[in-house]
Amino acid sequence: MSTASSTEHAAASHGHEHPKWLAHHFDSPAQQFDTAKLGMWIFICTEILMFGGLFVAYAIFRGQEPQMFHQAHEHLNWRLGAVNTIVLLFSSLTAALAVRQSQVGDRKGTSRYLVLTLLCAFGFLCIKYIEYTAKLDHGLLPGRCFGHPWFGDHCIGGGAAVLPAAVHGLSTRAHMFFAIYFMMTGLHGVHVLVGIGVLSWVLMRNMRGDFSKGYFTAVEIGALYWHLVDLVWIYLFPLLYLVG
Amino acid sequence: MSNHTNDSHDQAHGDDHEEWDVHAHITDTKFLVAIFSALIVLTVITVAVSRVDLGSANTFVAMLVATVKAGLVATFFMHLRHEKPFNTVIFISAFVFLGIFIFFTLDDLSTRGRIDPANGVSVYARNGELAPGGFTPIVTPEHGAAGEHGAAAAGHDAPAAGHDAPAAPAHH
Repeated sequence: MSTASSTEHAAASHGHEHPKWLAHHFDSPAQQFDTAKLGMWIFICTEILMFGGLFVAYAIFRGQEPQMFHQAHEHLNWRLGAVNTIVLLFSSLTAALAVRQSQVGDRKGTSRYLVLTLLCAFGFLCIKYIEYTAKLDHGLLPGRCFGHPWFGDHCIGGGAAVLPAAVHGLSTRAHMFFAIYFMMTGLHGVHVLVGIGVLSWVLMRNMRGDFSKGYFTAVEIGALYWHLVDLVWIYLFPLLYLVG
Repeated sequence: MSNHTNDSHDQAHGDDHEEWDVHAHITDTKFLVAIFSALIVLTVITVAVSRVDLGSANTFVAMLVATVKAGLVATFFMHLRHEKPFNTVIFISAFVFLGIFIFFTLDDLSTRGRIDPANGVSVYARNGELAPGGFTPIVTPEHGAAGEHGAAAAGHDAPAAGHDAPAAPAHH
């Protein structure tokens, strides 16, 4: 309330009206927009470094046991991984197009592309669900039940009494590969969920009519986040599904 | 409706506020679709190359293609092409620090010695040969078991633990 009144006051003293979305600590819409993007790029930097820890773990363990990684990765379905790659790339395109339509003031177009992006996000998670359940059924979830179906007799109750010496011809050390697989794709999946939340919020605001040619910051920033999700997957796909 | 507000701003500040309004580059739809097509082609290339055995070059090619794809996404979908250069500096710096993280970790792991359990001496992790520096053989009551093994294998100057079985005692 006091913010609003002081903005009005400042506007009056300037002799022109400020748009209501211009926070009063910014001089101009351009400065506000650039500041938002600067903040987002710094956040993207921290996100890359957070995933970086997992990429380093991957490099260490693959360096130690390249054959085990090669054997273990054959239990992943590369076709589903490739489909998910295309789904995410397409969703990145629709997110970029949503920003574009927002820039030219096409509210309906923005909503349409945001909905497409969200559908792709849900599609990605559905395919991920299919993959995860297959891994669980094949006893490939690392931990006390590794080697046994997660919902099988060995695991429900007291846990696996005996760890099988080999799982589908894999060494028991293959649990390291699947630990890395589940951590990397899991953290990425959490980002997909967060992205769904962010884009839904942007869609809601767009339908409410918050955005215009001069103010589409949230669409731009939300899309940047979604592209980051795509960027991470671009590296995850060959590293996990196509181990040489 | 807020467009109306903007238009009035354009008229009011067109001359004295050059940096007033948001001026973002508007990318052509066809161009964005072309970038998407390029990304799909590169994905197909990644999968195709992984079907061919190039030895250790496979991973290199896969990472190279992935980096080209990431570059396309960042440059055009994320608008770095028309962005202030400082944002690109921030983005690149993330990969620089990630490179430092990976390089020094792998350098450390591939060159540091570890204690050979059979002989209680410092050896290279990668080939089991004696490593300079690091720990010297210590025989203490707490390490009695290791000490006995060490004494048994004292004849070997360079304990050769197998590449694949680091814990296996030297047997010749």
